Amino acid sequence: MTRLLYRLLLCLHPPAFRRQFGGEMLSIFDETAGAAVWMLLADALISLARQWLLRSGAWKLLAAGAGGLIQITVGGLGLFLVRRFHGPELSSMHAPMETDMGRLIYLAVWVVGAVVCSVIALALWVKDFTGRRIHHDA
Amino acid sequence: MNEDFSPFLPLSPAALHILLALAGEDRHGYGIMQEVARQSDGQYRIGPGTLYDNLQKLMTQGIVEESASPARNDDPRRRYYRLTRFGRALLAAEVERLDTVIREARIHLRAHPRRAT
Repeated sequence: MTRLLYRLLLCLHPPAFRRQFGGEMLSIFDETAGAAVWMLLADALISLARQWLLRSGAWKLLAAGAGGLIQITVGGLGLFLVRRFHGPELSSMHAPMETDMGRLIYLAVWVVGAVVCSVIALALWVKDFTGRRIHHDA
Repeated sequence: MNEDFSPFLPLSPAALHILLALAGEDRHGYGIMQEVARQSDGQYRIGPGTLYDNLQKLMTQGIVEESASPARNDDPRRRYYRLTRFGRALLAAEVERLDTVIREARIHLRAHPRRAT
């Protein structure tokens, strides 16, 4: 049962890592399981998280998703504030002017959002790039 | 030829212990784990996840490489690893660095033996 669970954890590792080391990790489990089976399972669980979140670059997807959410939030908040505080002015203006003004403000809000996201993405990228040293203890 | 090891130093504890375990002879993963535990009198142990994560990086950096299995009737899942020439020089550089740190520490502890209470 525990061996099956360990194999399952190994199967969930990124394919390249699994192909390269999966067999060996299972052979180590077979040799040592009796003594420290739960430690090995915990180690595999930590390894799984580390491989996906740190080594495979999946964190960049998470960062991109977070960046997108920030952009949408900033854009939506900006639009809400513009409508709340300038709604009467916009509605009292002529239709073409209202549309142009609204679009301009909306565009400005989205540009600010995009700049914020770009800065966050760049900061994460630089941190990742400069952090590529041998410091990868568990 | 002077190689620049500064981008790799200092080594993490796991990387240092793995390189030390491989300094004497080629070993498979389980052998490395056992040797690390032996060298530290059981005070430092690494699990397979940490071991192979480090080995993957060390191999990518050209510090460790795979070697042929010395025994024919060995478990076919086992793979053996050894230090490259660069890896051995890097380990020597790290030991030299640690030696300097220890010398400095001894000098300061001798100079001010009662300060640290």
